[in-house]
Amino acid sequence: MCAMAAVKTETVPYLEAFRARTRDSEPAWLVERRRTAAARFAELGFPTRRQEQWRFTNLAPLTQGAFPPNSVENRIQIELAGELPAGAWLGSVQEALRDRPEVLRAALDEAELAGAQPFTLLNAALFDDGYILAIEPGTAVEHPIEVVHRGEGGGSFHPRSVILLGERSSATIVETFEGRGKSWTNSVSTVRLGPNAHLRHVMVQESGPEAIHLGLARAALAAGARYENFLLTLGARLSRFDVHAIIEGEGARCGLAGVTLLRESQEATVATFVDHAAPGGETREVFKCVVDDRAHGVFLGKIAVRPGADKTDAKQVSRNLLLSPRAAVDTKPELEILADDVKCSHGATVGDLDADALFYLRARGIDEAAARAMLIEAFAVDAIEGAVAAGPMRDHLRRRVGAWLEQSGS
Amino acid sequence: MTSTHDALDTVRTLTSEGYKYGFVTDIEADEAPPGLNEDTVRFISAKKGEPQWLLEWRLAAFRNWQKMEQPDWAKLRIAPIDYQAATYYSAPKKAAGPKSLDEVDPEILKTYEKLGIPLHERAALAGVAVDAVFDSVSVATTFKETLAELGIIFCSFGEAVREHPELVRKYLGSVVPQGDNFFAALNSAVFSDGSFAYIPAGVRCPMELSTYFRINAAKSGQFERTLIVADVGAYVSYLEGCTAPQRDENQLHAAVVELIALEGAQIKYSTVQNWYPGDAEGRGGIYNFVTKRGACRGKRSKISWTQVETGSAITWKYPSCILEGDESVGEFYSVAITNNLQQADTGTKMIHLGRDTSSTIISKGISAGRGQNTYRGLVRVQPKAQNARNYTQCDSLLIGKRCGAHTVPYIEVRNPSARIEHEATTSKVSEDQLFYCQQRGLSQEDALSLIVNGFCKEVLKELPMEFAVEAQKLLAVSLEGSVG
Amino acid sequence: MYLLEINNLHARVGDGKQILKGVSLKIAPGEVHAIMGPNGSGKSTLAGVLAGKPGYEVTEGQVLYEGRDLLAMPPDERARAGIFLAFQYPVEIAGVNNMYFLRSALNAVRRARGEKDLDAGQFLKAVREKLKLLEIGEDLLQRAVNLGFSGGEKKRNEIFQMAMLEPKLAILDETDSGLDIDALRVVSNGVNRLRDPKRAIVLITHYQRLLDYVVPDRVHVLGDGRILQSGDKSLALELEKGGYGHLGSAA
Repeated sequence: MCAMAAVKTETVPYLEAFRARTRDSEPAWLVERRRTAAARFAELGFPTRRQEQWRFTNLAPLTQGAFPPNSVENRIQIELAGELPAGAWLGSVQEALRDRPEVLRAALDEAELAGAQPFTLLNAALFDDGYILAIEPGTAVEHPIEVVHRGEGGGSFHPRSVILLGERSSATIVETFEGRGKSWTNSVSTVRLGPNAHLRHVMVQESGPEAIHLGLARAALAAGARYENFLLTLGARLSRFDVHAIIEGEGARCGLAGVTLLRESQEATVATFVDHAAPGGETREVFKCVVDDRAHGVFLGKIAVRPGADKTDAKQVSRNLLLSPRAAVDTKPELEILADDVKCSHGATVGDLDADALFYLRARGIDEAAARAMLIEAFAVDAIEGAVAAGPMRDHLRRRVGAWLEQSGS
Repeated sequence: MTSTHDALDTVRTLTSEGYKYGFVTDIEADEAPPGLNEDTVRFISAKKGEPQWLLEWRLAAFRNWQKMEQPDWAKLRIAPIDYQAATYYSAPKKAAGPKSLDEVDPEILKTYEKLGIPLHERAALAGVAVDAVFDSVSVATTFKETLAELGIIFCSFGEAVREHPELVRKYLGSVVPQGDNFFAALNSAVFSDGSFAYIPAGVRCPMELSTYFRINAAKSGQFERTLIVADVGAYVSYLEGCTAPQRDENQLHAAVVELIALEGAQIKYSTVQNWYPGDAEGRGGIYNFVTKRGACRGKRSKISWTQVETGSAITWKYPSCILEGDESVGEFYSVAITNNLQQADTGTKMIHLGRDTSSTIISKGISAGRGQNTYRGLVRVQPKAQNARNYTQCDSLLIGKRCGAHTVPYIEVRNPSARIEHEATTSKVSEDQLFYCQQRGLSQEDALSLIVNGFCKEVLKELPMEFAVEAQKLLAVSLEGSVG
Repeated sequence: MYLLEINNLHARVGDGKQILKGVSLKIAPGEVHAIMGPNGSGKSTLAGVLAGKPGYEVTEGQVLYEGRDLLAMPPDERARAGIFLAFQYPVEIAGVNNMYFLRSALNAVRRARGEKDLDAGQFLKAVREKLKLLEIGEDLLQRAVNLGFSGGEKKRNEIFQMAMLEPKLAILDETDSGLDIDALRVVSNGVNRLRDPKRAIVLITHYQRLLDYVVPDRVHVLGDGRILQSGDKSLALELEKGGYGHLGSAA
């Protein structure tokens, strides 16, 4: 309808940067894709609060600043606790272009399925960084793969990550996002799990207090596949993380969990969407949000069950703790059910610390500040323990939560 | 399995009674020419002999409406509505000011009898004061004198404008302003009649006040307006029932209900909505776009909405409570059924403004056939609403594979002392449950009715007794042919 | 000197209802007092007020603990000063490990007594000793505080905490309720072992059953917010026979 509409002003710096960048070394198909994505982004512009999915997210810090794409390379740091087995390939986007272009191409097809989210399109137009992990069928990568995305020196970063797991393969990935200074990170991760593949995907967003982070992780699950995503949100003045999972094959299981800890004037949204398009799928979602000072936490959770996706079993929980008179929480746990033989439920709570528990602790001699910290930690750690198996990973996440509480200094 | 299916088919054949209330009363109507412009608004206002201020109010609403667009955020598929094709005023000609029941057109009285509410008996036996709205004009009000002795005003909206202009002017639009939303603005411009009730301070209304709405004239929209004011410490229970005749085309119903409860006052508002839902193929049926909102203005005031929504092709309705007074209470109990191609997007808004306010939401959605049923609710706790409490439970029941049940709750909290709990479940009526009941001797139909009534019982128990019985019957009728 | 002196204590709950209407009671170190009375007589309110539970308002009277104004102290300070309340309904706290909780509490109390923190080894040793006393399995310590505990396990856990914290004044609020006879014996044994010349114990109970196992020095009957009668342990037996009914008029 608005094909002729003027280019949205907020998109201009990004489009200019896009045009200025030469892509001589890239294959024609990729250049063409970037161009298409940029054109579509120009058409859509940034989302506004009039759009239902963005009504709680105040993008002002993003629209009012300019974040031209930052072209410093090698901002990604990949660490392996052990050797990669023969069936696994891991490399940066640049390496993938050189050595495994077909993997990258398949992954980009995937991302296009994610639909026309403006920021995903912008990422598709501009990405340079990121990594590709491709695992052959039957291969198990035992040691966690740790990836740190750094955004330093201002401007915007558009990392693109691709994870492809063949049938019955498995891996654990820990991605940490560290935006520094007045930077904007716009990350996209796409995951495709073959039949009975199993991915543990831990994401920690601990950007600096002036940074902005918008992220999307999208996973497609074949029959019997299992995707476990844990998202710890600590940093950034403005952040939004979308986690989408599509149950494409029968009996796939999806576990989404997260802890968001906010203070000062942080704004953070966690938006999940699980689309049950095949029967017998299972979803377990637990998201906890602790909001202090003037911060604002948002949870948007949607579970859809398409016609025919019988025997779907989905549970979603959103729990929110408000610690200060000016803290704010919005939560919208949504169900869209189009099959009758399903078990679906959701629950949401908002409140402050349980007064009885607080008294119980104090009646045993623990002072109020310590008792409060203990309960806040318990609130957050509960979600970690439910989602992440005991071991170094869980300890790492617990330590991050502990560190956040210590900063509160009671 | 086949035997179950055979049994279901038999049940379906035996019970496909169809819409019981689908008959047309043949009386001459006094109609406005179709179409909507300022002249239509002036025509309606003049026809009703309204004062200038009300005409101005309507015109302001109309001008607002012209600038607005029909909302599209609900999970509803609505065929385009031609607002210029509808008739905005339709009054039964012989109904010009009946002084008593004897003066009421016998045809109309017969219609009520078919509906199962003979005014004489019903009023006398049940102690119900009925202000019946036939199409748009109130035709009879009973028990007026009994009420008058207590100082209770219960009359048609038109009469209230003439007899109690100061009350109407004070409260009209104070809860739902003219420009509140597209449909409310439309109603404010063209509303033809409705009910008005005022319960003076300290008075407990001794009987249930009741209005039966009915859309009769073809192609006529119905835009009634209800305003109920409970003064300090007053109590009133108000019943609203709606039915409409069977027609192929869609009819528009855009009502506005405003409730005001002052300090310590309580208003209980119960609705059984049984407008024509359209046929099994989705032809015809009422488009029901209703704005209902209550303001708990005073300390410890309480407003309770109970609704059983079984009719209409499309229902768009969110009876809400603005909890302004400290310690005020809002409640919403709802059963919504969609069968065949019916669509419902309904729920509530609980806006907590005062201290120690509390709200309860119990919603039961039942989807059958190809029906689509959405609960959409908002619980908002504003910064000054210290110690606000909300409990929400919304359950969905699915019957069959082609229907949908959706839950869209919004929880917005701006005060840490709030305690908000929301729970939702989705389940189905299983063949096992039906079989178990049948094995114990119940018919398939009774078994389904039993299960559905059990599912809804927390809501049905909120209805006044006689309404509850009617509602249970309606649930059974609405679900006919849905199992299989 | 008395350990605890309650003088003319009046208290009401949040909604304004007056529950305690003038309770006076003196308790010396080493004594075991039983406070009995029908439901609604104010027993749990008295326990709550002494421990500093929010939601009560003291409208008149005073409470001296070791000569200090108890009511001016926040609940955790009271606990560190040696007051222990065994809860009638021990609170479940998801996510807080029982062991971690207990160590935090014990070290807080020890610090207040001028003692050093126990290291992990010392703590574990102390724990094992007391666990045996209450016949509690070690696995209970690895679970979240009271979460998923049976009724009996919760009550045993309360007495176990008491054994660890070594209070000067222990108030047991209906610790016997909901216990079968075996659990009651275990709990009572635990309490008896904790009887000490320096420690006072207040048993709040509805039934005299507990008093067969833990024999009190004094028995008080609470009714309508006042102490209606006090005596030695034979008073409990009288109540067993006559019930509380005939006491109502004494108020």
